[in-house]
Order: sequence, then structure tokens, then C-alpha cells
Amino acid sequence: MSRWSYFARRLVLAVPVLLFSMSIAFVILRMGPIDPVSAIVGTQNDPAYRQAVARSIGLIDAQGNPIPLWEQYFAFMRDLLTFDLGRSWVISRGTSVSELIASRAPRTIWLGFWSVLVALLVGIPLGFYAGLNPNTFSDYTASFGGIIWRAMPNFWLGIIISSLLVASAQLTGGAFNWADWIVETSGGGVTAPPLTDLTDPENLAIAIKQILPAALVLGSSSMGNEMRIGRTAVLETVNSNYVETARAKGLPERVIVWKHIFRNALIPLVPVITAEAFLLIGGSVVVEAIFAINGLGKLFFDAAIQGDLPLAGSLLYIFVLITLSINILQDFLYTIIDPRIGYD
Amino acid sequence: MSIQLTREEDPILTVENLQTSFFTDKETIRAVDDISYTIQRGETVGIVGESGSGKSVTARSIMGLVDSPGRVMGGSIRFREPTTVDRLARLFPKRTAEVDELREEHDLVELVERLLNGRHTASELAGEEYAGADAETLVRDGAVDMADLVEDGYAAELGIVNERTFVVRDGSEGYVEVTNAPTEGLRKLRGRGIAMIFQDPLTSLNPVYTIGNQIKEALRLHRGLTGKRATEEAVRLLEAVSIPDARRRIDEYPHQFSGGMRQRAVIAMALACEPELLICDEPTTALDVTIQAQILELLEEIQEERNLSIMFITHDMGVMAEIADRINVMYAGELVESAPARVLFDDPKHPYTQGLLESIPSRNVGGERLRTIEGDVPTPNEKPTYCRFAPRCPEAFDACDAVHPVNVDVSTGDANHTAACLLYPEDMAREDAVAYHQSRGGETAQAAPDEVNDDE
Repeated sequence: MSRWSYFARRLVLAVPVLLFSMSIAFVILRMGPIDPVSAIVGTQNDPAYRQAVARSIGLIDAQGNPIPLWEQYFAFMRDLLTFDLGRSWVISRGTSVSELIASRAPRTIWLGFWSVLVALLVGIPLGFYAGLNPNTFSDYTASFGGIIWRAMPNFWLGIIISSLLVASAQLTGGAFNWADWIVETSGGGVTAPPLTDLTDPENLAIAIKQILPAALVLGSSSMGNEMRIGRTAVLETVNSNYVETARAKGLPERVIVWKHIFRNALIPLVPVITAEAFLLIGGSVVVEAIFAINGLGKLFFDAAIQGDLPLAGSLLYIFVLITLSINILQDFLYTIIDPRIGYD
Repeated sequence: MSIQLTREEDPILTVENLQTSFFTDKETIRAVDDISYTIQRGETVGIVGESGSGKSVTARSIMGLVDSPGRVMGGSIRFREPTTVDRLARLFPKRTAEVDELREEHDLVELVERLLNGRHTASELAGEEYAGADAETLVRDGAVDMADLVEDGYAAELGIVNERTFVVRDGSEGYVEVTNAPTEGLRKLRGRGIAMIFQDPLTSLNPVYTIGNQIKEALRLHRGLTGKRATEEAVRLLEAVSIPDARRRIDEYPHQFSGGMRQRAVIAMALACEPELLICDEPTTALDVTIQAQILELLEEIQEERNLSIMFITHDMGVMAEIADRINVMYAGELVESAPARVLFDDPKHPYTQGLLESIPSRNVGGERLRTIEGDVPTPNEKPTYCRFAPRCPEAFDACDAVHPVNVDVSTGDANHTAACLLYPEDMAREDAVAYHQSRGGETAQAAPDEVNDDE
């Protein structure tokens, strides 16, 4: 089977998964403890108004008869699959969901991107370095650091880092001030990054600088994870027979590390990286709250507890789509890195 | 004793008193404990012994591949191969001793005099028959040569060569002292001079690169071949190890090869470096019997074609009978018997070798039960003051626990046959034999181990 037909097949196979997970999302949303009509009308208790609201969100028809659940289910599925995401009920009544998501998504993507990058660029090199120099002082330092990063909870680390950075000028006696370090930033430098016109180098620098503390906190546990798994993977590869064969061939150590060890050690890291990439996109509620970043995580949390069902459903749908595509991407990476993975 | 540096029949590899130990928190394991042997050009030398007897560590010591916590503690490994010597001498001029140049620069008589005035005696330098002779006599009789001074380390002591010298060149001859070589020097020696094939062909190839890629890597490194020429050569090598359809196979990955084919590919990879000595560490253990026979046949063919020397490690006496010209038997880090293959099979001397041969099923057809050697190989964690095989030996007697046997000549014909056992030499009475071993430097244990007294 060729690479392309393999991917066509993977895409087709993803469809039932998508339908199944959306059905579950529908059940969970509708069986939840929140009555959407009460959520919208709030404290007003006017029966006529309630009726009007229920009609407008499609729970009863024009005659006041309840619309059967299966019909609602089909409407829900049809709307999602055609990307007709509807309008928000509660959070921002009447605004279209796509508009809401479009306004929040860039910050979350920016945050997720940098936290994945921080984890990748710090965790993996550190892990590989520790694995190549096992049981040395630097290995112990790196491994211990990995455990600490892994163990520090986000809500705690976020608060500590943000308060340290805000007070950096006082703490260092003016020697270091995070707010004007490299580029001047507003709000003490620990607030949501302005994501306007990133083609301008200064804007870009500000955007990166402002996201880094949050990205570090969000990526901290992934960083520790990737470090530890990278270390184990390298250790396992270093002691394998083919590395010894390469050594017996007289290859220089540089070639052995970069050609023979590196690529094999990446194989067990692929699922770790992709699994975490999703966590970072969806699970940033706490970090977004601490660093005042109004992103998708916060939006989803609000939508879920306030009973904004179209918004919550749409966000779930998007998260499922992202997960499925990351999964396919992961399999794609596998076939590139490891020739033993077949296409059938 | 001094050995002449330049002789036609010089072995390609000389291992002398090699000692490799592993240092753990608990103990020091003497994995290879004072072994000496040689490998001639075009010869196949087998190393046989149970698991844990130090066979693989010997091979790794020769390749300079002993990993921490292991270390080569002493002895010498000399690789005599003119092109390798020239190559390394060019790469490491500061660590090369040119015997010809030394002869011109220094007066040998004066050097020997300096040694004799120092801590050395004439018998030390030239053997018992020259005891008390003066420097001039030694040099005139040719008992001491500049080459001897370099080889035995006196030259470094006199300060005329660098202490870290590991390449010695004498005209067109010379050797590389592997135990003294720096990491970079070892790397240059590996593959091109001495190549090695490992135990498990299934995991000896990197799974993420094609067979061709891994062979071409060796070709580029050692022979500077790239591109199309490297591909052609790789195809030729695969054909040489009888891989069918080599041109297509070269772009396949190791997992697409069967076990036997993978071992062939590993052999092709080793041959790509054009080595002079091939070390095979149990290359057929993981393969089934038919494939095993094919691989052995292949090795023999290649050896004939290229006049390759082979050091073949196995625990399988049947394989050994098939391929080896000479067999060294190892037990607990020591060499206990050494003989030409035919002699060893017909007339094994050491009780351990006898036991090994008796435990081959096909040699005892019809027997009630297969005879085996009871017990396990002990971990050699102290200097031997006794025979390490004694606890398992059917012929052990009292002295075996008190005297460490040395290798003595037990040859009957012109075959060079030695065994390290207190039962030999056979023509001596037992007490005399024991005394003989003691006098030849066999370590002696005292009556009680806590009353060690060196004066006795």
C-alpha cells in the first residue's frame, strides 16, 4: 500500500470516531444538570419569556410541543458537520460561535505552540544529553530537574513565576526588570500577548516575550516528561547491538550519536510529544486564568459551567478534530522515522 | 626473553598476559586473567568455553571496546600488519617509534650499559644464558637489539621514545600496541585493521537504515568510496556473501531480511572495511543449524580468498571442529588448554576440555545419559592461588587447592600443545609436577589464607 492510500484510509477510518465522539458529547451536554432555558433567562421567571427562549433554541416547536430528542440530535450533528456552529446562548448572547472562537483561538494557539516548543527544545536535548552521559553530575542535575519540573503543579508554578517576574525589579535591586528586558512591555510583562501584526519584529518580540512565562508553566510537565523519556530512550539505544556494531566499524562518535542513536531514540518520543501537544491546546484553563490570557480554555470552561451548549459543543467538536488530526500526524511521523511501521 | 621483531612467521596478533577487570562496588571481577596466545596470518583460532569464561571480553579488549566499569589492566595486544602500521604511523607521528631512526641516533651499547647500571641485569635483558655478561657482549652477540629495547618497554624507560608510544615501525615491519592506543587510534584500527561480527545478527543492524546505507557507510569511512561507486561495491559485497538479487536487496531494511541473510549482511559490512583480522563473537549461535553451516562455509571461503585471519568465539564444540585450525580453551578468565584443533579433539589433556568434549551429544551416541560438568563457572574475583577448575574437576587432588597451575607443554608430536593442569607434565611424578608449576611462577596459597607470608 502506498503512503497516500494509507492516509486516505486513515481519514476514512477517522469519520466513525468523529461521529461517535460527537454523539457522546451530545449526550453529556443534554444529560448534564444544567437546564439551558434557566441558564439563559436567569432570574426572570416569566413563563411566556421562557417559552419564547425554549422555542428560539429549538427545544419546542411553534405549537409548544417538545421536539423529540432524536430530532435535536440530528440537527446538532448536521450543524456541526456542516460547520454551522450557531450562536452563543449565554456567554455572549447572539454572537456567532465561529466569531467567538476566532477571536479567542489565536492566543491559545500561540500559547500552545510555544509551550510545545519550549518542551521540545529544552526537554529533549537535555534528556539526550543526560542519556549520553549517564550517572555523571550533569545527568543527575538534569534528571533531578526533570522530576522537579514534572512535579510542580501548574497553578502553583504559574503564580510563583508571575509574582517573581512582576516584582523582578524590586527583588534584584533594579538589576533586572522583566517588564523592560529586551523589549518594553506593558502590564509588568505577564499578561496576554498582543497578537497584532506579527510581521513587525518588535511586535513579534513582545508577543514572544509575553507568552514565554505562561508557555514555560504550561510546558513544564511535558518538558520533564520528554526529558526523562528521552534519557531512557537514549540509554536503551546506546546499549543496543547496532550501536556496538557501528563502533566496531570504526565510526566516529559524532556519527554514532547523530546518525545511529538520535533517530532510534526519537521513536518512543513521538507518541509522547503528540499526546502532550493536545493536552497543551485543551488543558490550559488554569494557566490562561493566571496569566490573564483570554483563550479557548477559559472560554470552554465558562461555556460548560454556564450551559452555553452550542458554544461548548462546538469547542468539543473542534478539540476532537484537533485530536484526530494529531493522531494521524503521529502515525505519519512514525512511518517516516521507523521503516518497520508498515502501511497495512 | 626477547622476541625478534622481524620474522616471516610473525603472528598477526600477539596477546601477552592480557588482563581485563571489571570494577563493581562489591568486587573486582578478573574477567580475563593473564592470558597469552597468538593468531597467525590466514589462520582460524577458536576460543571456546562456557558462558562467563571471558571469551567475549577477550575479543572486546582486542577491539578496545571494553566499556566502563571494565578496564584493560595489563599485558599487551600487538597487531602486526604493515599497512595498518604505516597508516597509524602517518596519523600519529608523535606516538610512533621508528626503530631505524633510533638505531642511527643512539648507540646501542651505551643504552644497554645505562640499563645494566640501573636496576636491570643481563639475564633480564637477554635470558639466562647471558647472566653476568656486559653490554658489549650482549650487543655483539645480537642478544639485545634496539627493537627489543622498544618492544620490552626499556626504550620508554630510557627516555628515547615517548611513553605513550603505541606504533612501532622497524623498516617495513612493525606493530600496533592496542592496549596503549588512544581512543582515536583505536577508532582508526577498528573496522579497517580488525573487524568484528557480533553474536546476534538480528539486532546488529540499525533498524531505521537500509542495508545498503550501512554498508556504504563503512565503504566511505575506510575506502573513501561514495555515490555510485559505493553502491556498486556494496552490491558486489552482498553478492560475495551470496545474497540473491543484491541490487534490489540493497535498498531494503534489516527487518525485511531473514536471520541468516542479516548475518550475511553483517559479514558483508565487516568485509567492506577490508580487515586483516576478523573477530567473530558467536556469529552462528542465534541461527538454525542449516544456516549455521552455510555461514561457516561462507567464512571459510572468504578466508581463503583474502588470506584473512579469524578469531572465532563459540561455546559450541561442533562449530569449533568445523572451522578452527587451533583451539584455545578458556575457563574463568584463564587459558587452560591450547592445541591444534585435530589434536585437541583426539587427545584433550585438561580435565575441563575432556568434560567439554564428553558433553557433546553426537560424540556419545548410545550412552545412557549425556555426561556434563557439574556446577557453574566461578566468578574470578581474586588473584588465583589455586586451580579455578578444581571444585568441578573429577581428577582434583589436594595440591589443586594450593597451587595455581601454569600452562606447560604437553605436546606429543610436533604439535604445539599446552595445558594448565597440575597433572602435567605427564612424565613427572605428581609431587615433581606440582613443584614444577610452583617454580614456573604458579601462585601458591598458604596453609590458612589469613596467615599470608611472603617469605615462605
